[in-house]
Amino acid sequence: MKCPKVLLVAAGLIIFAAVNSLAADVKVIANWSVKADTISAGELRRVFLKEKISLADGTHVEPVLEKNGPVHEAFLQEYLGMSEDDLQTYYRTLVFTGRGSMPKAFGSDAEVVAYVARTRGAIGYVSSAASAQGVKTLAIGVPSSSAVRNLITRVEPDYPETLKRLNICGTVRLRVSISAKGNVEAVEILGGNPILGESATFAVKKWVYAAGRSRTIAEVSISFGGH
Amino acid sequence: MRRRIGGLLFACFCAGQLTLQAQDFKLFGREVEIHGFASQGFVYTNTNNWLTMNTSQGSGAFTDFGFNVSTNVTDKLRVGAQFYDRNLGHIGQYHPSLDWAVADYRFKSWFGVRGGKVKIARGLFNDSQDLDFLYTFALLPQSIYPTDIRDATIANLGGNIYGGVSLGRNLGAIAYTAYAGHRSDSMYSGFEYLASQYEIYYSRYGGLQYGGDLRWNTPLKGLLLGASRMNEDVTGKAKFINSLNPGAGLVPETERSKADWTNQFYGEYTVGKLRIDSEYRRFLHDQHYQVLGIAALTNITDVRGWYVSGAYRVMKRLALGSYYSRYTITSVAGGPLAVLFPEQTDTSLPANHIYDKVITARVDLKKFCYVKVEGHFMNGYGNSTYPDGFYPPQVHPLGFNANTNTQGFNPNTNALVVKTGVNF
Repeated sequence: MKCPKVLLVAAGLIIFAAVNSLAADVKVIANWSVKADTISAGELRRVFLKEKISLADGTHVEPVLEKNGPVHEAFLQEYLGMSEDDLQTYYRTLVFTGRGSMPKAFGSDAEVVAYVARTRGAIGYVSSAASAQGVKTLAIGVPSSSAVRNLITRVEPDYPETLKRLNICGTVRLRVSISAKGNVEAVEILGGNPILGESATFAVKKWVYAAGRSRTIAEVSISFGGH
Repeated sequence: MRRRIGGLLFACFCAGQLTLQAQDFKLFGREVEIHGFASQGFVYTNTNNWLTMNTSQGSGAFTDFGFNVSTNVTDKLRVGAQFYDRNLGHIGQYHPSLDWAVADYRFKSWFGVRGGKVKIARGLFNDSQDLDFLYTFALLPQSIYPTDIRDATIANLGGNIYGGVSLGRNLGAIAYTAYAGHRSDSMYSGFEYLASQYEIYYSRYGGLQYGGDLRWNTPLKGLLLGASRMNEDVTGKAKFINSLNPGAGLVPETERSKADWTNQFYGEYTVGKLRIDSEYRRFLHDQHYQVLGIAALTNITDVRGWYVSGAYRVMKRLALGSYYSRYTITSVAGGPLAVLFPEQTDTSLPANHIYDKVITARVDLKKFCYVKVEGHFMNGYGNSTYPDGFYPPQVHPLGFNANTNTQGFNPNTNALVVKTGVNF
């Protein structure tokens, strides 16, 4: 009698993990004119607060938002540290004092993807399960010191068919230690579905970054599903 | 008055059934945005009249509205303008003004240039102080943001440079603004109204303003610290009735500031639904007056103010707030006409301070429509040669300004402020 109960609990946990990851997981997308593959969390915040109009490589960027919903709330909480009310107040202050304009906002993932795909420099966010056709997905990195290290070799993680069939998807967040030469020395799972974490870790260990002046730590997000 | 409030509340009610949103359209292939706002207030005080309104009887002469149009001409160039109009008792009197009109070119994230009529970055809220819909409070702390003299500091005709720089992961980011321009006061502003109570009737008041603002988004999440400085060289031209010789009638008067500066320091901390703000400001105004070409009066006014405020969003549509605002003023006059302006140096006297305890509730009926109810419990009335909310009766009324406090002042004033507004 114990075995079915354990299985039931395990299944429940997997479903909970899957549903939870669907509710909160966000991926950052960009128009193909954006040269960078990685953007730091700090840069992303400054882009969405309209403090930053171009990335380190000189690409002009324009933030694109979702109007509401769990993806929008998760993005605000995770990357901007603001509530919807605070963000609207912030944008209105810019608009009504002549310091900026309202960013574009759309009602669904599909609309955001479509706008980002056709607008030079656009950066938006959608559910990690959303289709990202016509746009690129940016990895979120946090440089420990100077500039973001450019990724030279990227190995995509294996996404097992079993997990696809079970619709277990989402984003895994990793802390990556990069040597001065550019090799990945160590990977630590920070968040996301642990079932996917192993595959992500295995792939990221094969990544190669541009050589830097010293060892750096970066945060990387890997999305599974929806591509 | 009541009809105006009723009208706006009715509009809010109707808006609850509708969706009010910003308008945009294409012009020459560019998207043009239109935004606007309006607010209507009602103020009742148990005693002294406040902010040039007849508040002891209850007054709804507290209306403002504005709208702006803007467009991004290129990725880096944006142009726009905002019109603003208001009536606050005897101030404004529905004379519309160009609130701002700018061409803004941002070369890089760390360097941009704005020119035209540009809002002045000073402290947390100077450039947005009349955008009521942004705040929990119906009236921002008057020790730092006196609404009756908003014209003096809100914008000038000139330019500024601005930008922001990230200091790295462990040091946060800084944003700077440096500006220079010409201030030109409306003749329907608080300073001009106060001067008229002393029989000084301005035809021009303004001059050079320059300064800067530096703010630091600290590595501690939610904590902002900043400092601002403003220097001014203000000149005025007026006609004046000398109370010592009223028979001479109106005589020409000119004035110029010898020293005129403001220092402001501020901090803001946001954590979850709680926001705490605090600011300190010192304003020194050393003005020299000439009547018929003769040095007639010098007046040094020293204003110091600070406040601490807290606002908490209790639920989606309800926010509560409170602040304590402390304002002191000293005034020392010299010259032949100094006898008309007695020295004020003891800030413990009610005539030389205003201490204001405030509680507020804000209800958002919709995203774009709100009602605020606010209580002020003030000690002191700060009656001086510089405006601070409470205006003395006119010395010799000429007929075009009504007296506001003919019975003199009581030391304590309680006020109820109800305000409602919409924005899109």
